Amino acid sequence: MNDVNPFDAAALGSAPVPPDVAHPNGVRFLEHEKDFWRLLTRGAVLLLVTLGIYRFWLATDVRRHLWNNTEITGDTLEYIGTARELLVGFLIAIALLVPIYAVFYLGALAPDILAQAASFVALVVLALLGQFAVYRARRYRLSRTVYRGIRFHQTGSAWRYAICAIFWWGLIGVTLGLAYPWAQASLERFKIRNTFYGNLQGQFVGSGTRLFFRGFVMWLLIVGPLLLGLIVAVGAVDWNAVSEALRRGNREAFRGVEAAGAATAAAFATLAISWSVLAIAALYPAFQAMVLRWWISGLRFGELTVTSHLRTGTVYGLYWRFVWISLVFGLVFSIVAGIAGGLIYLIGSVGANSAPKELMQTFIGIGAYVIAALGYSTIYQATVKLRLWKNGFESIELGNVAVLDTVKAAGAASSAVGEGFADALNVGSI
Amino acid sequence: MTANGKGMFFDGATSARRPVLIELTPDYLAVRDAEHRDIIARWRYDRLDHLYAPEGILRLGEVGARAPARLEVRDAALIAAIDDISVPVDRSGANERRSRMKVVGWSVVATIVLVLAAVFGVPALADRLAPLVPLRAERLLGEAVDGQVRTMLDKTGGKSPFECGSGSGEAAGRAAFVKLLGKLETAAALPIPLDAKVIRRGEPNAVALPGGHVYVFEGLIAKSENADEVAAVIAHEIGHVAHRDGTRSVLQSAGLSFLFGMLLGDFVGGSAVVIGARAVLQSSYSRDVEGAADLYGVELMHKAGGNPRALATVLERIAGAIHPGMEILRDHPDTQARVRVINEFAAAAPPPKPLLEPSEWAALKLICKGR
Repeated sequence: MNDVNPFDAAALGSAPVPPDVAHPNGVRFLEHEKDFWRLLTRGAVLLLVTLGIYRFWLATDVRRHLWNNTEITGDTLEYIGTARELLVGFLIAIALLVPIYAVFYLGALAPDILAQAASFVALVVLALLGQFAVYRARRYRLSRTVYRGIRFHQTGSAWRYAICAIFWWGLIGVTLGLAYPWAQASLERFKIRNTFYGNLQGQFVGSGTRLFFRGFVMWLLIVGPLLLGLIVAVGAVDWNAVSEALRRGNREAFRGVEAAGAATAAAFATLAISWSVLAIAALYPAFQAMVLRWWISGLRFGELTVTSHLRTGTVYGLYWRFVWISLVFGLVFSIVAGIAGGLIYLIGSVGANSAPKELMQTFIGIGAYVIAALGYSTIYQATVKLRLWKNGFESIELGNVAVLDTVKAAGAASSAVGEGFADALNVGSI
Repeated sequence: MTANGKGMFFDGATSARRPVLIELTPDYLAVRDAEHRDIIARWRYDRLDHLYAPEGILRLGEVGARAPARLEVRDAALIAAIDDISVPVDRSGANERRSRMKVVGWSVVATIVLVLAAVFGVPALADRLAPLVPLRAERLLGEAVDGQVRTMLDKTGGKSPFECGSGSGEAAGRAAFVKLLGKLETAAALPIPLDAKVIRRGEPNAVALPGGHVYVFEGLIAKSENADEVAAVIAHEIGHVAHRDGTRSVLQSAGLSFLFGMLLGDFVGGSAVVIGARAVLQSSYSRDVEGAADLYGVELMHKAGGNPRALATVLERIAGAIHPGMEILRDHPDTQARVRVINEFAAAAPPPKPLLEPSEWAALKLICKGR
């Protein structure tokens, strides 16, 4: 089991053993799924009790679990961030955001045109700030990642990243997703170029064009029928008749619109939209596997090469596991919720309406919803997130790992304010 | 006596693995290069940082060190020896559990404090702060809200003017309304000019906006049986103006957004908590504010020489038509309770004489009936 591990040999007193270059992957995830479930379940309960304040500790626990069980050529990554840093970063970010929100709030109360301008500016500023936070949060996480006693760090202007990201996401929207591969390639090039392991600089060599050709069929399957359906729907309607009917108004309008082919149009639109939704659900794991494979295989750190052999079937498997565990949870929860519902009904039927009784009912109702939401989120994290991390890492084949033995320390720890912003603006990830 | 063993050292300057010999001296942990035999690190036991590591590995760092130098030990006997000698090293996890319990305890305390702040602190703070906000600011706020509310309320479709009193045959009604308003305004002595209008809306209602705008709905005049009843409702609305309730509600809602939304409720499913808490709390703030406006209205009616109990009479008549929903979500107190409080408060009031002459009241009834 520990054949890849040079420590055993060292512990036995023989000469130091170089990293096992011959090992096919060199990367593995030490699985402790039970621990992870326990950590998440306890976290969910505490999130509920503290109305979310516990999230800093939960996020830190989750990261520590994922990082510290990821072993690369015999040594594990280390997450050295603390929940206290996250909490302080969040409070600082809130202190900076409150005046901004206040300005926009007052701006929205200004007379019409000014108010519209203010809300538009608010939207752009918040979007920019969100992407800024995404980049800064990444910087925080990297600088809290240690491997063999050396930190990772990130350089580069977060504002520049934010502007690029907004531009690309705008383009993705305008092109109905067609720009996605080039957007990802460009943003990843920026991110990875600015990512360092000690003095070892990262580089992203994934090609947007290649990703585009791999994913184009998926795009056609999802967006194609949607576009076609909507075009047919719009064509089926006699728009002159509609506007005429609407002008005549009142009771005539409905019949007029109906006669103009609205029913057919609605049927086509519904069909197209349901097709797209189903296609997205069916193809999402394949899409995720494709992008992850492409992304991992595009990573370089100096001479170190990375290739991913992630199988699409693996990703389908982990989603399937999520689905059936969710179904079981849903069933159990429905039974419990049914009993709770009966309880609410019982409370409701005893005596007259009173404020404390209503408060109790509201409390139970909201509590049930939150428990369900937290339950599904926990299952998702313990199945999809954990397994994606594990399978993603274990799909990796490293080349030129000798590079990892001669890295020199560089970069310093950075503040958690960016992460705080990301949290306050709800753009945080792991 | 010193215990010794082998380990792996990362010096924090390069990523090279260095096999080392570990010596537990009485004062510190010495790390000796396995080959050169020279000491490359001396870590005091009380400054050891016990770090997370996979099972079977003891991973140590030094507290406060600039570079994350690491020492990893796999020798079970040596691990046990280090655990015995160093206070921060704690394989049982008891330290960790204790500090985590502390975190949980404090988080729960913080949550309770924040919820209490939302229930009691926010309305109290809004009460204190509202009078400090300059009137000019409230008027600006009023202008903005006024525009939005007008477009929301105006259902005439442009066929007739939204405000009553400008059409032919409405002048007498308008004069009566102005007279009624004048009596109330004089008695109230508000710091800002009142801007009250009768509008074409069928519901028996009236609203006060920030900055002294009061809209009296046509339906209220229709449902009222004398001028004092209309005046009583206007007096209640003047109460909102005098109490700066527009500013107060802005402050309350800002405070509530800060507590529920920014500080609390940021987790999966938390939005339900935020929505629920805001709905319940905002309604409770509003009930307090309405109660205060009722009392103000009664007193103002008394001062203006009207019937202080008219508010109770008209409320009872109007509320008969409205079906009560959930009590905790109602933004006005229960009508029965309101009527009871008003009548108690107005108990010592002198017998009324009407605020308007019968002819003026008849004209006011027709303020929206002209064309």
